[in-house]
Amino acid sequence: MGDILKVFGLQWGPFLAQVIIILIVYLILSKYAFGPVTEMLEARRRRIAEGEEGLKKIKSDLEQAEERVQAMLDKANDDAGRLINEARESAESVREQKVQSAINEANQIVEKAREASRIEHEKVMSELKADFGRLVIGATSKVSGKVLDDSDQKRINEEVAGQVSL
Amino acid sequence: MDFILSLSITDSIYPLFAAGLAPGALPGLGWFTNSIFFALIVTASVLIFTRMATKRMETIPGKKQNFVEYIVEFLYTQVESIVGHHVAPKVFPLLATIFIFVLASNWAGLIPGVGTVGFAGGEEYMSGPLTIKADAGHAEHHGEDTHGAHGEDNADHSPDEHHIAPFTPLLRPPTTDLNFTLALACVFMIVWAWVTFKEVGIKGFIEHTFAPKGGLEGAMKWALLPIFMLVGVIELISIAARPVSLSLRLFGNVFAGETLLHSMMALGKQLGLGGVPMFIASVIVPLPFYFMEILVGVLQATVFALLCAVFVKLSTAHEEAH
Repeated sequence: MGDILKVFGLQWGPFLAQVIIILIVYLILSKYAFGPVTEMLEARRRRIAEGEEGLKKIKSDLEQAEERVQAMLDKANDDAGRLINEARESAESVREQKVQSAINEANQIVEKAREASRIEHEKVMSELKADFGRLVIGATSKVSGKVLDDSDQKRINEEVAGQVSL
Repeated sequence: MDFILSLSITDSIYPLFAAGLAPGALPGLGWFTNSIFFALIVTASVLIFTRMATKRMETIPGKKQNFVEYIVEFLYTQVESIVGHHVAPKVFPLLATIFIFVLASNWAGLIPGVGTVGFAGGEEYMSGPLTIKADAGHAEHHGEDTHGAHGEDNADHSPDEHHIAPFTPLLRPPTTDLNFTLALACVFMIVWAWVTFKEVGIKGFIEHTFAPKGGLEGAMKWALLPIFMLVGVIELISIAARPVSLSLRLFGNVFAGETLLHSMMALGKQLGLGGVPMFIASVIVPLPFYFMEILVGVLQATVFALLCAVFVKLSTAHEEAH
């Protein structure tokens, strides 16, 4: 046994020195490497978990917000449709009123024009009758050589006016 | 005997093998061996790197912090999957230390110069490309200390026996030193015992080891009790053998790998090549084995840490089941 130990060089000095070296590495790595690294990994794992939770909450909030936005959009669309219909109806009503008003105005203008034309026509006709009466009286007095008195002129005028019906 | 510092690769056939299974003591430093010296270098490297990476921990990590976090998280996941959620925080620091330290030691052993640059005593080592003749004072020490790991036994060796290990590497990978691998296993076993007794208690451990299992009751339980007692004794023997098996497995594999690499380096010389062809052969031939040793380094670190995790799992399984 002793020979075997000698062949392999097993001695208390080197053995204890190696034990001390291993313990030093073990303690220092535990304190300055594995400890901080595992803490950092754990902290990062927690942050990732919190991030995941936050992400879920954000996603949920986003879905709710989208639903709210969609509801608002639907409501806005409905309101817009309703307003458009109301505007269309209102515009139709105004148009009808305007058209009716224009028709009335046009009718009044036409009526006025027709009345003015009639008055003018009657005026022209009476002047024409008067002129024609004077012509007949003048012609009658020249043909008969008789001076026509007022009653004759009146009678002739009435006869001429009765015969002239333009 | 003159003491020289020699790059012995071109002159030595098996430098590390020639140095023997035992680590060599550095000149004038008593039991302070080359493997302790290199273990300190590896320790410093690992600690400095991890300290640099974890000095300013930030939520958004830099490259070094990210690398360390990746390693730690990966190891923790593996350990947790074996020993369970409850025990993992207790044993993870040690198991991770074992894995990282063994891996760093194994890979550091592949750095050119480790195991090949050192102190040579024989004439055949005295004509390397880099040979520095030591002063007489050092020469005095050589006779006493370069084989210091062999202890006083050197005094009884014949000149021929002295010649078996005439070369002492300046740097020897710690995992090629049984002192280191055994120390690693012993530290683990102490922590294993502490965790086991803390988790299941001494009574629980004894019950776990000797008591009939499988829910046996009545006469069957008493009938099988002697067998379970015998199995318990065997279990105790296997537990006692764990440090030996763990340490010898790691030591044997890494030492064999180092020796293989050095053999491949010296293959050109063995085949009778000389000059430039021998130099080229010493560079080209070991290359595939370097890649293999990189894998072996990871594999052995994994095996060691994995077995430790399994041992913890086996002894604390009862508690975890509840």
